[in-house]
Amino acid sequence: MIKDLFKAENLMFLMQGLAVTLTIAVATILLSIMIGTILGIARHSRNKALSRMSGVYIESVRNVPMLLFILAVRFMTPLNAVVSGIVAMTIFTSAVIAEIVRAGLNSIGQGQWEAAKSQGLNHVTTLVHIVLPQALRNITPALVSQFITVVKDTSFVWAVGTEELTGRAIILMGKHNNPVQVFTLFGLVAAIYFIPNYVLSHMAHWRQRKILH
Amino acid sequence: MTGPFAWFKWEALFAEWTVFGEGALMTLAASMLALALSLALGVMFGVMSTSHWKIAKAISRIYVEFIQNTPLVIQIFFYYHGLPHLGLSLPVFSIGVLGVGVYHGAYISEVVRAGIQSIPKGQREAAYSQGLNYVETMKYIILPQAKRIVLPPLANQAVSLVKNTSVLAMIAGGDLMYRADSWSSQNLYYGPAYVTTGILYLMLCLPLASLARNLEKKAEVHA
Amino acid sequence: MKGKFTILAAALLSTIVVLSGCSGGQKAPAAAKLAPEIQAIKDRGVLKVGTKVDVPKFGYKDPKSGKIEGFEVDIAKAIAKKILGDENKVDLQGVTAKTRGPLLDNGEIDIVAATFTITDERKKSYNFSDPYFTDGIGLLVKKESGIKSLKDLNGKKIGVAQSATTKKAIQEEADKQGIKLSFLEFGTYPEIKSALDAGRVDCFSVDTAILYGYLDDKTELLLDRFSPQTYGIASKKSNEALAKLINDTINELKSNGEIDKLKSKWGLK
Repeated sequence: MIKDLFKAENLMFLMQGLAVTLTIAVATILLSIMIGTILGIARHSRNKALSRMSGVYIESVRNVPMLLFILAVRFMTPLNAVVSGIVAMTIFTSAVIAEIVRAGLNSIGQGQWEAAKSQGLNHVTTLVHIVLPQALRNITPALVSQFITVVKDTSFVWAVGTEELTGRAIILMGKHNNPVQVFTLFGLVAAIYFIPNYVLSHMAHWRQRKILH
Repeated sequence: MTGPFAWFKWEALFAEWTVFGEGALMTLAASMLALALSLALGVMFGVMSTSHWKIAKAISRIYVEFIQNTPLVIQIFFYYHGLPHLGLSLPVFSIGVLGVGVYHGAYISEVVRAGIQSIPKGQREAAYSQGLNYVETMKYIILPQAKRIVLPPLANQAVSLVKNTSVLAMIAGGDLMYRADSWSSQNLYYGPAYVTTGILYLMLCLPLASLARNLEKKAEVHA
Repeated sequence: MKGKFTILAAALLSTIVVLSGCSGGQKAPAAAKLAPEIQAIKDRGVLKVGTKVDVPKFGYKDPKSGKIEGFEVDIAKAIAKKILGDENKVDLQGVTAKTRGPLLDNGEIDIVAATFTITDERKKSYNFSDPYFTDGIGLLVKKESGIKSLKDLNGKKIGVAQSATTKKAIQEEADKQGIKLSFLEFGTYPEIKSALDAGRVDCFSVDTAILYGYLDDKTELLLDRFSPQTYGIASKKSNEALAKLINDTINELKSNGEIDKLKSKWGLK
């Protein structure tokens, strides 16, 4: 029974799903860091219009389920399955990361800005060389846990039939449907998600400890 | 005009607005029950993770690590497609409450743990020296102080929880997202359906989000 | 792999055509007769078709070769031949009941040949060709359930696909027979099969052609067939010229007997 399930073509089928999962997750994380940082800086800026605009984006996106963006982008744009997944998840994740970045910037005291200014540094230089590096250190744990969330939440794209890891496990379950096979599949897929996420989350803790010492 | 937002599609939506109304009510009900469950689990496992009792600590760790590092969708699918093979066929609404509650319970447990650990150790030792036991110390000394630190992230968890009930759409759950998805895929009027659904979720989540924002500000002032 | 290569080759080819057209300026008059949307397909050099990948005999992706094959794929090829002069200039993309409409709207595919039932409601959103196949809705149940007909499903749950016509058709039949049913909708067929295996639903009901792909030793297909459905090739509503061209092709295939040959090639009645 189990042998039936662990055929090379089934494992290959799952690994291709994992590749889709990882492609979507990695691209989403990279794009969201870029867009989210810009949005977060804009939100934190003293320019009212800029701050408000980015605030409206962040709040209206963050308070709607990501699944809605997945459906809307898949069905209302000409993008292919994987790209539309990346775009939808990036729309959502950028808003979350923007909030994290904003909180990080807030955590850096006004004194730092003033000290840098008194040294003759301009606003941009202060932001890039003094404030952001410190903020980044403070928000690393929050960022890493968001990355883990992104990896897990790629499974929502199965709702539009994109065959990532979770979807492919369900497809296999349609053919291998006795209890032993079903539970083996669940266990296997859970482990595939668990291992990289566990390592990632503990790397963050470890880094955090190193910084504190 | 036959674009995705054509007027006749909006008319169809207004004519059948109860589909969305009922879905929103179901999402609200599932959210409230799941939130209650996740708070109960979160406080329980959060307190357990700071106890000196090794087994309690280990159980709490396993719960948090396992739940936080695997997708909610897989967990929900397990309850829906997996458990019936063991003869346990939970109704779909219960799966929503249980699945989302257990998932966020793990996150809330971490929030509670961080809150407890933020209270200096001396307080606990002082309480013990006064003859208070572990539960009393938690109840009267530690948790009331931890509350201030814990509340803002809790409110944020509540927002995530409401959004995550949309996972029910993937198991024919009858919630708002399922209704929107099912309605629009029947008649293909997905444009108006998504906009309406987005607005309804905003109405559910924005109050919680602004609560979180206010609590954060308060916490900053106190800190 | 081959698909990508074809696209690349097509892209190169169309670039050359466009470039030579620009410099020479002689081919332009001939092309001007065509409707812009058909011209767009010609320029691209490939017809983008949405087909099923999980319906044996209609549109099925062979797991070994990775190729999508079936009756509907062959029809799509005939249309490609009509437009582009080469039946191999098709770019096949897997669609589900749920994704085929939206993907047509957003332009990711030009036409849908994916067991798409013609209905009046859908005609409001898309252009449909004349029917090329008639299929009834079937009922797949677990053997151990002892269910033998729709009547036995009184009070039970039926799993159907989102965006399919099944729910309405079965409901009408149930009303006629005076029985009560409840419906659960899923985004993909494998989920309905899994729900049937798990006992979440008592019956998996979609077009019979699709059910054959899910028949295994634990399940059986009942003899009941409901509301014969006709399948048509769908294209974008605004794209009248393409719709006409598709319809002409279908009718040609019918009149020259080609469609019957294809049906017997795939073992369809």
